Amino acid sequence: MLRMPRARGQARCGLGEGDRVEADELLLLVAGGDQKAFEELYGLVSGPVFGLVRRVVRDPAQSEEVAQEVLLELWRSAAKFDPGRGSAMSWVLTLAHRRAVDRVRSARAAGEREQREALRANQPAFDQVTEEVEAGLEREWVRRCLDRLTVLQRQSVTLAYYEGYTYREVAEQLSLPLGTVKTRMRDGLTRMRECLGGVA
Amino acid sequence: MSLFRREDPHSLAAPYALDALEPPERIRFERHMKDCDRCTAEVRALSEDAVRLAWSTAAPPPAAMRDRVMLAVRTTPQDPAPQGASHASARTRATQLPPHVWGAQPPPRQRRRIPLFVPFATATAAAALVVASLFAVQANRTQDRLTAEQDRSREIAHVLAAPDARAGSGRDGRGRTIGVIASATEGSAVVTLGGYGAPAGGRVHQLWLMRPGAQPRSLGLFASDTPLVATGLGASATSLAVTVEPAGGSPQPTTQPIVQLALKSVGFGE
Ligand SMILES: [Zn+2]
Repeated sequence: MLRMPRARGQARCGLGEGDRVEADELLLLVAGGDQKAFEELYGLVSGPVFGLVRRVVRDPAQSEEVAQEVLLELWRSAAKFDPGRGSAMSWVLTLAHRRAVDRVRSARAAGEREQREALRANQPAFDQVTEEVEAGLEREWVRRCLDRLTVLQRQSVTLAYYEGYTYREVAEQLSLPLGTVKTRMRDGLTRMRECLGGVA
Repeated sequence: MSLFRREDPHSLAAPYALDALEPPERIRFERHMKDCDRCTAEVRALSEDAVRLAWSTAAPPPAAMRDRVMLAVRTTPQDPAPQGASHASARTRATQLPPHVWGAQPPPRQRRRIPLFVPFATATAAAALVVASLFAVQANRTQDRLTAEQDRSREIAHVLAAPDARAGSGRDGRGRTIGVIASATEGSAVVTLGGYGAPAGGRVHQLWLMRPGAQPRSLGLFASDTPLVATGLGASATSLAVTVEPAGGSPQPTTQPIVQLALKSVGFGE
């Protein structure tokens, strides 16, 4: 396998297949208490984790806090990682997404209704993807593939994933029946998979 | 919620993969997946799709975040492996477990939150180094021990988080070290010994607070290489001393200090 040399623990953004395999191996070492391995793993996952959390949470200070908690949880719970269930990167990003969504929902519950109104006024969520700092290849592909979805598929997927809304809230915002939203989410994700070529 | 029952439970795989279920629904659906291979397989695939959406958002985190995470890692014990698996054999375990679905059982919430991320302005790289040696993670910790370590981690984090936390260290003629991270405003310190090992004959290393015009006050006993958290240090505290004492410690020092460290450099006695 080809591996690019890189400084230990440096945050990066792009991800290749090699990184994913490497993340799996590192996480297994981390599960055994290897702090050096954690530093390397940090270099691989901190960019994706931070970017995702910031995308969902928005507020920079809160994003940093949530990202830190996720990365520490990664250290603490490394022994729970099971490569038989999926890649380390998926595990970490799923964890990060869950925490980010929890945070943004509790912030909303605490009274940030204006954001909801703003969203109802409607800015398709995916547009912000293009504003992110670095336009990596992956980013470009995802954006293109999102563009190929129907409007309702795209909105159902992005309102849930990037904005942290439940499917009930999405249904309400788009004035669609619950069943339709669930189907749009499923079809949207499946079409993304086809478009991205299933390189998971 | 009755709504859930009226719905087709098999239809929730996509909302689940997108984290778009409310917590009670999430839990019910996870229960459903245990008996439903179809949903389990679907969630597995859809979760990987959802993760693709995450990759496109990667962004470099603030540089300071790395230091905070690394410091936290050095002072935070790891959770034990899930039941039936041994810490030492992560690789073997991984291949032995049945490949059931990723996503069906997300990592459980931690039992307790350890507030490690209060900003600390002055806990320096030296502080990190002092702490670094202490928490070599050990396999097969008992739950009691783990709980005790978590408590200590929290105390250590508390000292580190103090805005005036400062680190200092001393070295004796044989290269053995005493390290301290202390906060004068909190009146607390984390103290570590390096290179002393355990005293022979079941004796112990005892830590003392030295103050002008007062008897030394015991701050506790060192257990092997783990750090000791000392609290209740007044502003008049001038130095710390370590003596070798009989098992269980002594009310007052019975031997000469093996190492002593002035606290002035960490903000005391001014
Ligand atoms: Zn089902």
